[in-house]
Amino acid sequence: MKLIACTEGHSGKIEAFSLEMIAAARSLAQADDEVVAFFAGRDAEGASACLGAADRLIVACSTRLDVIPAEAYTLLLRDVVTAESPGLVLVPYSANGLDVAADIAARTGWPLISYVNEIKRHGESLTIVAQMYGGKILAECEVRLPAVLMINPGAFAAAVPDPIAAVNVQTIDAEPVLTSGKVKMVAIDMPDYADVDLTAADRIVCVGRGIGDEASIDLARNLATMLGAEIAGSRPVVDNGWLPKLRQVGKSGQKVKPKLYLALGVSGAPEHLEGMSQAELIIAVNTDPKAPIFNVAHYGATCDLFDLVANLSDRLRAGSGR
Amino acid sequence: MNILVVLRMIPDSAGELQLAEDGRSIDREWLDFQLNDFDDHALEEAILLKEACGAKVTAVAVGEGANRVLQMAAARGAEEVVALQSEEDAMISSREIAASIAAMARAKSADLVLCGVQSTEDVFGQLAPYVGALLDWPHVSGTNRIVANGAVLRVTQERGAGVAVTYELATPAVLGVQTASKAPRYVSGSKLREASKTPIGRATPELSGFERSAEIITLRLPVQGGSGENLGGNAETVADRLITILAAKGLARN
Ligand SMILES: Cc1cc2nc3c(=O)[nH]c(=O)nc-3n(C[C@H](O)[C@H](O)[C@H](O)COP(=O)(O)OP(=O)(O)OC[C@H]3O[C@@H](n4cnc5c(N)ncnc54)[C@H](O)[C@@H]3O)c2cc1C
Repeated sequence: MKLIACTEGHSGKIEAFSLEMIAAARSLAQADDEVVAFFAGRDAEGASACLGAADRLIVACSTRLDVIPAEAYTLLLRDVVTAESPGLVLVPYSANGLDVAADIAARTGWPLISYVNEIKRHGESLTIVAQMYGGKILAECEVRLPAVLMINPGAFAAAVPDPIAAVNVQTIDAEPVLTSGKVKMVAIDMPDYADVDLTAADRIVCVGRGIGDEASIDLARNLATMLGAEIAGSRPVVDNGWLPKLRQVGKSGQKVKPKLYLALGVSGAPEHLEGMSQAELIIAVNTDPKAPIFNVAHYGATCDLFDLVANLSDRLRAGSGR
Repeated sequence: MNILVVLRMIPDSAGELQLAEDGRSIDREWLDFQLNDFDDHALEEAILLKEACGAKVTAVAVGEGANRVLQMAAARGAEEVVALQSEEDAMISSREIAASIAAMARAKSADLVLCGVQSTEDVFGQLAPYVGALLDWPHVSGTNRIVANGAVLRVTQERGAGVAVTYELATPAVLGVQTASKAPRYVSGSKLREASKTPIGRATPELSGFERSAEIITLRLPVQGGSGENLGGNAETVADRLITILAAKGLARN
């Protein structure tokens, strides 16, 4: 059986989760199986230099576009799936993967399981553990091959980056698909870190929706100032316009690794954890003892965040006056 | 432009989720059902497009409490509201409702279908790409801005780490909305009362165009707590402990 591991990269960097997809495929491959990595983008050399844990690499190469629209990625992958007849296609849960996985599943008629954390293979079927309800429930599903899986970044330890032998690399020209596709890329905006670069911050106070309203952000901001920390927010806080986008932590925000991450009223949905679970010291405050944030926190408290902020601020203020 | 926007009612996962006796679903009896966050943004984006370029908005809702949410959609500016019948007490599977949404998009000559990028029940895959594939229309997920210029859409997609990509595509299309261009608006009680007179259409589900994805064998709660220390629920003692912990790690002061 062939297992296709979808990989991604842009701006000369192969996304870290690419090596996780290959590792996941590798962990399921049996003696005669073949792990085939698929990459679409400009950095064909970068892909060849690090995706060597796969047996074979198929690169859909564009000389122009750094970020490949999901439509083009899917069209190219569909051809690869038709040509290779894999038993399994592993897609990362990324901005791209959201469109790719369901499209491939729909066109092939194969089953799809999303938010996959664990996979066990029993011959021609798999047992999967997937997350639901923001990580509060785990679903164990049984699925027959062939199938498509959308895998959570961080769920599998990455394969070791290694070059792949040139004979095992097959290159396809992506340009015809990119020029004929219906979705045209017109601009890429890169972040402007002039205001704040959370990835460089070593202390972060992050507020979640539990903060309730915009006015209350100031309480957390004052606490952050006293701790010498940057203020950050979960997605709903930013979506509500209470904090600027560059202060969002998570899948579509910044991936941070500070010395201190104080999470106030953050539930700890998988998309949030993806951005902060590598912090050195995680302190979580959430009135719900079952909030998934406690699964990654080093210290957790179930008190009301407002009471805690008031108490902590008082103590820090008193300390500074001494 | 005809816009079809899909609104899914999902259990409030901020509350406590308990497993049903069969172990394959959650106990829905005492749960609050609320509009999927991302669908709320999809609705807002639809109304913003209507205000910007005069589109007609049809809102279709599925799940427990659909009527209430459809009245809210009408109060916010949807011209037509339709409840899609769903199985009671069942999880809303995007894979299973996709065929119904695609059929409605055809029947209403929709130019644009807007769905929230995901719902927390989407364990068998996302709605927008399924509907896109069934209709063979282009689809883009993770959008945070949509601008229409006639039949041409400019769509901005979040790629993570602050990177955003803008695409151009022609309608008909399906978009998975992550965030609306502006935060969802508040509707006043008087508008809601007025909108409560809007007739709610009914639609019966189409057979899914897809094979069933898989069976859920069991649901379970994750093992709680990890290896972290629980400081308890008293704010004063928690604050004392935290000051000590932070000071010991040299993190309490600059
Ligand atoms: C493609 C995609 C990308 C995403 N990217 C991101 C991302 O980058 N970052 C991100 O954060 N999310 C992201 N999300 C959204 C994510 O799925 C969750 O919806 C989000 O993280 C929830 O934010 P929250 O925890 O602040 O809010 P909620 O889930 O609403 O949680 C609020 C928490 O506050 C607690 N609480 C309430 N009041 C109090 C109080 N007084 N004291 C203490 N605790 C209290 C509650 O118990 C609850 O646990 C993304 C989703 C998708 C689909």
